[in-house]
Amino acid sequence: MTLTLILEQIFNGLQAGVTLFLVAAGLTLILGIMDFVFLAHGAQVMIGAYAAAAITQATGNFFVGLGLAIPVTFASGYLLELLIIRHLYQRDHMEQVLATFGLILFFNEAIRIGFGPAALYSDLPESISGFVEILPETPYPAYRLGVIAIGLICALAIHLFVSKTRIGAMVRAGANNPEMTAALGINIKILFRLIFATGACLAGVAGMMLGPLTSVQPGMGEPLLILSLVVIIIGGIGSVRGAFIAAIIVGLVDTLGRVFLPSILRLFFEQATADGAGPALASMLVYILMAVVLIFRPTGLFPAKG
Amino acid sequence: MMANPVLDLRDLNKSFGALTATNNLSLTVMPGEIHALIGPNGAGKTTLIQQIYGALKPDSGQIFLNGRDLTGLSVPERIRAGIGRSFQISNVLMDFTVLENGIIAEQARLGQSFRFLRPAFSDANLIEGASAILDRVGLLDRAHLPVGGLAHGDRRMLELALALAASPSLLLLDEPMAGAGPDEGQRMTEIIEALRGTVAILLIEHDMDAVFRLADRLTVLVEGSVIAAGTVAEISQNKVVKSAYLGDED
Amino acid sequence: MTGLFHFANLVRAGIRDNQLLWMLVAGFALFPLFTHFADLPFWNDVAMRIMLLGVAAMGLNLVLGYGGMVSFGHAAFIGIGAYCVGISQFFGLSNGLFHILLSIGVCGALGLVIGYLALRTTGIYFIMITLAFAQMLFFLFVSLEQFGGDDGMSIDRADFLIIDLYEPLRLYFLIWVALALVALLLMFIVRSRFGVTLRAIKSNESRIEAMGLVPLHFKITSYVISAMICGLAGTLFASWQEYVSPDIMHWTRSGELMIIIILGGIGTLAGPLLGAIVFLLLEEFLPVALGAVAPAYAENWMILFGPLLIMVVLFGRGGLVGLLDKAIFSRIFRRRMAVK
Repeated sequence: MTLTLILEQIFNGLQAGVTLFLVAAGLTLILGIMDFVFLAHGAQVMIGAYAAAAITQATGNFFVGLGLAIPVTFASGYLLELLIIRHLYQRDHMEQVLATFGLILFFNEAIRIGFGPAALYSDLPESISGFVEILPETPYPAYRLGVIAIGLICALAIHLFVSKTRIGAMVRAGANNPEMTAALGINIKILFRLIFATGACLAGVAGMMLGPLTSVQPGMGEPLLILSLVVIIIGGIGSVRGAFIAAIIVGLVDTLGRVFLPSILRLFFEQATADGAGPALASMLVYILMAVVLIFRPTGLFPAKG
Repeated sequence: MMANPVLDLRDLNKSFGALTATNNLSLTVMPGEIHALIGPNGAGKTTLIQQIYGALKPDSGQIFLNGRDLTGLSVPERIRAGIGRSFQISNVLMDFTVLENGIIAEQARLGQSFRFLRPAFSDANLIEGASAILDRVGLLDRAHLPVGGLAHGDRRMLELALALAASPSLLLLDEPMAGAGPDEGQRMTEIIEALRGTVAILLIEHDMDAVFRLADRLTVLVEGSVIAAGTVAEISQNKVVKSAYLGDED
Repeated sequence: MTGLFHFANLVRAGIRDNQLLWMLVAGFALFPLFTHFADLPFWNDVAMRIMLLGVAAMGLNLVLGYGGMVSFGHAAFIGIGAYCVGISQFFGLSNGLFHILLSIGVCGALGLVIGYLALRTTGIYFIMITLAFAQMLFFLFVSLEQFGGDDGMSIDRADFLIIDLYEPLRLYFLIWVALALVALLLMFIVRSRFGVTLRAIKSNESRIEAMGLVPLHFKITSYVISAMICGLAGTLFASWQEYVSPDIMHWTRSGELMIIIILGGIGTLAGPLLGAIVFLLLEEFLPVALGAVAPAYAENWMILFGPLLIMVVLFGRGGLVGLLDKAIFSRIFRRRMAVK
C-alpha cells in the first residue's frame, strides 16, 4: 500500500519534472545566451494549452489538436521574437522586465477576451485515459506515463541536438561566450530567433500536455514560469543539462514533499503542529533547496559560463 | 644599512590551466622608489598587479606590504592596508563630476562613507579634502565638469588622483600613459616624477622613454619569469634583455 | 531610460527633484480639501492608495534606482508588513505602533537574510532569486490555513491610542505622515555620504572597491532599509484595505512597483510618487476610455496597458512618454525661462 503510494508519487514527481524541464530548457538558453530576462515564457505555455484545446474542440480529435498546436507555438515564438523581442536584447535588464511584463498582461487579457475568463477542461480520448500496471497491482494513468515518455524523448532529442549538431555547437559556444560567437561570424540573429521559437515550442508542448491534467485558464503558465526559474537557478543559467537534472529534482522534491512531509513531521512533532507546519514547509521546500544551492554554489550546479 | 622594502613578493606562482602567468616570482619595491615592470605583451605584468591588488589569488607564494602579509586579504582590505591602484582602462565614476569623484574618495579615506544624515556633496570639509586630491594632478580648474565630458588625458589624471587619494604607501600604476597623446604623456610623466620619494611606485608602462626617465629600478618579465632586474643603466646594457625584449623595439 | 519627465530638463529649468517631491507631498496634504468641496470623497480613497504605493515604490527605488539592484520581490515585504498586522490582531495585539515596529523589524530581518543570499549574485540571477524568494513567502501564506490561507484574513483598522482610524480622514493623514517621513528619510539618505557611495557603486563597483570600501555592505544596508519602508507601507495598507490575503504579495505586484518607478523616473526622489499617480490614474481611466470605445471590453483594459508598457520601453525617449514630456513639459518651462 505504502510502496504503491510512494511509487505513484515518484511517477507524479517525474511527470512534473519533465514538464518543468520543457519550460526551463528554452528559458535557460534565452537567459544564458541572450542575457535576456524573458518573463513571458509562461504565456507560451498558455498559448500551447489553448491552441491544443481550441483545435481539439474544432476538429474533435485530441491528437490533431496536439499535432497542430506544435507549429502554432513555434510560429508564435518566432513572430514574437521578430516583432518585439529582438529590439530588446540591447536594453538593460529592468527594461526587459518591464516589456516582457507588458507582454504577459497583453497575452493574458487577449486570451481572456478570446476564450473567456473561465477555465477550459478537455477530456482525454478513451484510447489513452486508461491505466497501466507499472508494478503488479500498481495501476498508473497511461496519459501521465505518456507525458513522462514524451518529456524524456524531448530531453534526449535536445541533448543530442545540443551536443552533436553544428547548430548545437553554436548554442554551446553562445552560452559560454556570446561575444566570441558573434565574432566567429555565426549569424547570431537567426540563431537567437530559432532558439527563441524552439524554446516557445517546448514550453507550448508542456502546456498542451498539461491541458488535460489541469485547468486551461489565463495565467496558467505563470506558476510554471516561477518554478522553472527556480530550476534554472539551481541548474545554472544557460545549462540545458543543469536544467534537466534540476527539473527532475524540483519535480520530485515538490511532489513528494507535499504528500509525505506532513506525515514525516508527525513522527517528530505533535499532530496539530505537524498538520499546521507540514503544508507550509512543503510549499517552501523547493525554495529552501534553491537557497541551499545558492549558499554553496552561487552560480548553480552546472554553470555554463566558465 | 638597507631600509625594509615596502612591497616584498616571495616566490609567487600563478597559472591558468597550462599557461604559467607568474613563475616563481620574487620582487621588492623600496620606499620612495619607482620600480618599473617591463616585458612583452602576455608576459604576465597585469596578472602580477592583479595578485598584489587582490583581484587574483596566487597559487602559491606570499605578498608582504610593509612587513605585513597581505596574501589572504580581500581587495578593500589591501587598499586599507596601504595599496593604491590606477587601472589600465580608466576606472572612474563616470556619472559624477570630477569634484564628486574626489569627495567620494575623500570620505572613503576618512572612513566616513557609512553616514546617513548630512549631505556629502555640499560638505565643506569634504570639498576641501577633495580639492587637495584634485590639485595634485592639476584638475582643480575642471572640478565641476562631469567626468563623462572630460578629455581622455584628464580622465587618466583623475584615475591617478583617486589612486593617490588615500595616501597609499604603494602605488600600482597599470599603464598610466595608455592611449594618451604626446602632450598628455608628458604631463603624466611630470606628475609621476613629482611623486618620486613620496610614495613607492610599481609602474607598468609600454612607453620606454617614460620608463627610462622615471624608473629607479627595472624588472624585466618574460613569460611570467624575471629575466633581469637592476638599474636603468644595468638593464640597458644587459644582453639577455636586449635580445629578448629591447632588441625588438629597434 | 527616461521617466515620464526628464529630470535633467527640470534641473536646468530650476526645478529640483526634491522640490517636485515636496510639491507633491504638499499636494496630498491639501487634496482632501479639494475632494470635500468638489464632493468627490471616492478620490480620497484613490489618493490613499497612491500614497501607499508611492511609499512602497520609494522604498524599492532606493535599491533599484540608486543602488542599481533590480529586485523583483519587494511585494513580499509589503505583504509581510500587512500580515504583521493581521497576525498580531489574531493574537489580540491591536496596538498600531506595535504593528509598525513589528513589521519594520520583521521586514528588516527578512531583508537581511534575503539580501545576503541574493546579493551573492548579480544580473539576471539577482532578479530571479529575489523573485523566487518572494514566491516562497507567497506560497507560505497561501498554505497557512490558520491565517486564512488563500482567502486571507480580515483586519480591523489598527488602534493608535487617541486616534480613531475609523473617524474620517484619520487614516488618510496617518498615511500622509508616513509618506512625508519616508520622503524626508530618503532625501537625507540619498544625499548623505552613504547615499552617494551607493550611487557610486551603481556607477562603478570596482572603483569603490579600489577606494577600500566593501560594496556589499552598502548594498545590503540599502536593501534592508528598502525592505523596512515596504514593510511600513504594508502595515498601513492592511488598515486601509481592512483585509489581507497572499494576493498582496503576488509577483505581479512586484512588477507593478517597478512599473511605477520606471513610469515616474528611476533614481529620482519624486519619480516613484509621480509614477504611482500616473499608474493609478491609468488604472482608473483606461477602463473608462476603453469602455467608451468598446463597452463590452471595459474590464479588459490590460490589453491596452500591456502594449503601453512595451511602447514605453521600445520608444523610450522619443516615444509616447517622451512625446508627452517634450510636448507639454519642456514647452512650459521654456516659456517660463524666456519670460525670465
